[in-house]
Amino acid sequence: MHLMKRTFSILLLILVPVLLATLAMFIGPSGEGGWESVLEWIRWKTGSPADAGTHPELTGLILWEIRFPRIMLAFLTGGALSLAGVAMQAIFRNPLASPYILGMSSGAAFGAALALAWGFMPPQASAFLFAALATFLCYLIAVRKKKLAVLHLVLGGIIVSGIFTALLTLVQYLSDPFKLQTIVHWTMGNLHNANNTKLWTSLIPAGIGVAGILIFRWRLNLLSLGDQEARSSGMNVPVQRGLIILLATLATSGAIAVSGIIGFIDLIVPHMVRMVTGADHRKLAPVSFVAGGCLLLVIDTLSRILGSYEIPAGVITMLIGAPVFIFILKRSKIVWGT
Amino acid sequence: MAVFSILLFTACFRSHPGETDSPGDAIVVEDFRGETLSFSQPPRRIVCLIESALSALYMLGADSLIAGVPQSVYKADLYPWYARLDVRISKREMPAPGNWDFVSLESLAAIKPELVIIWAEQTDVIENIERLGIPVYAVMLHSFEDVHKEIRDLGTITGREERARELLAFTEAQKKTFRRQISGEDRQRAYFMWSQGVLETSGSRSTVEELFQLAGLENVVKNQDEHLVINKETLLSLDPDLIIMWYNEKLDPADVMTEPGFSQMKAIRSKRVYELPSVFACDFWTLKYLNAARMVAQWAYPEAYSQNDSLLSESHLMDSLYQFHLKR
Repeated sequence: MHLMKRTFSILLLILVPVLLATLAMFIGPSGEGGWESVLEWIRWKTGSPADAGTHPELTGLILWEIRFPRIMLAFLTGGALSLAGVAMQAIFRNPLASPYILGMSSGAAFGAALALAWGFMPPQASAFLFAALATFLCYLIAVRKKKLAVLHLVLGGIIVSGIFTALLTLVQYLSDPFKLQTIVHWTMGNLHNANNTKLWTSLIPAGIGVAGILIFRWRLNLLSLGDQEARSSGMNVPVQRGLIILLATLATSGAIAVSGIIGFIDLIVPHMVRMVTGADHRKLAPVSFVAGGCLLLVIDTLSRILGSYEIPAGVITMLIGAPVFIFILKRSKIVWGT
Repeated sequence: MAVFSILLFTACFRSHPGETDSPGDAIVVEDFRGETLSFSQPPRRIVCLIESALSALYMLGADSLIAGVPQSVYKADLYPWYARLDVRISKREMPAPGNWDFVSLESLAAIKPELVIIWAEQTDVIENIERLGIPVYAVMLHSFEDVHKEIRDLGTITGREERARELLAFTEAQKKTFRRQISGEDRQRAYFMWSQGVLETSGSRSTVEELFQLAGLENVVKNQDEHLVINKETLLSLDPDLIIMWYNEKLDPADVMTEPGFSQMKAIRSKRVYELPSVFACDFWTLKYLNAARMVAQWAYPEAYSQNDSLLSESHLMDSLYQFHLKR
């Protein structure tokens, strides 16, 4: 019975995103790529001549060069951010912790803005580097006598975030209106410029981060108990915590370097999933990854098809995320901090 | 006199749609990134995501080649003009897959364009469009010469080189009239105010600078930046004779005149704050800079211009550039 339940859960975790992604492949603002044109494209790919009035070449282009990378990137970004949120909440033992607590978002935003304004390197690479730099600076601030002070890490995050936000504002102030608009769009969080190269660029760091956290997810259970309890079970707490932070940094910076700043997913998804799976990170981590991926996939698909002008996914996550988070807080039986 | 000159101008130079100077020759142009584009024949479906370049296409008479426009043409301040230029826009049937700040790749691909015209700054979007196998003509305008190059290039691409030459010859002729009229005058010193804010202006390497030179004015801002924000103290010390505002939805000249701290400025004391009244008709990034320059010159030197009617009025200039009388 237990095995059946476990198999069913795993199947569900695979089938739900596959179904959602498949559905999203057939939906788009152009009206191209619906069921009929996809069937026509399959016929054309298998050697049948195209019917008059159809354009299977265009259908293929829209499906594989536009929708596919965007759908995959949406899923990867949502999943990576949620999983990083789970990891951060566990190691900081704080329900408000998120990957952005270490100044990653402001670091990435500054890096992207710098590259967009002066073009010295691709914005994705620059965003990644500055997100990682922000985390490293937090570390430098937090390390005292070769020990990592968690409170100092959080305070370091606030300081580093403040510095990078100020620098971002300076870049925006000095930029001409064209570049300013591009920077603003980037910071809003959007997947409309996804392509296969960006997907692979994001997949390498984010994939390593995600895989690492999923492999070490059982350690999150120990770390979330507190330093003393983790140490008493034989764990080298500073090393393990550092490793998890490194993996979360890779997952987050890999994702936001391509998508821009997408907020709230990292915060609300772990809380929503925790209500279903409980606090065991062996279940919480994979389910949060899939749930975060699916949520951003749905949000991005809605932003693609609702209206003639796309609303950035980052804006929708904030608009939906805030009330959902309040609802969860009100309904939750867990009262944090009492 | 003015009407006669337009009719003479259009009668002498009117191009035939689809006309090419050397049919069969490969069409080769270099865009503003320095990328070379070549076509065996003029692209039949052009998606233009820059409003000023779209204006250029209509001036060239390439209406039938336009398959997509920027979303901004459906905004209230531009729509009436473009509705006059194209029945598909007036019926709101022309696809608009994006703008200068956002492009829906899927909607763009669905139009099946053979060429996309877009700002060179939109590097991410350009990369994606080119990945789809669609050629991109990227534009970046810093000077009137850039505006002229855009007209020449678009004329070559669309097979309307002759019309492009007419437009440029007409523009040069109009510019000479300006120069003759302002000679001997003491140059007035002006400050240009963009709509983003009272202190947002343009320096000496900009189309604003060229506009002022054409109108016989001196830009008080000597900084070389194309777009910059100065502080209030600097503006007060520059003390311009007149202030020229870009079309502004939030502020009127009256608001600027009552701006705290401005009261001692020469331009405010003499009530010489003027607003360019239309985004479309005064666009510096098109040959309509002639219209903006005419207005500015008349505000700066009312006496000199009141005695001379050789400069075309707005309606006559529009008719010359867009050939509205032919469309009617």
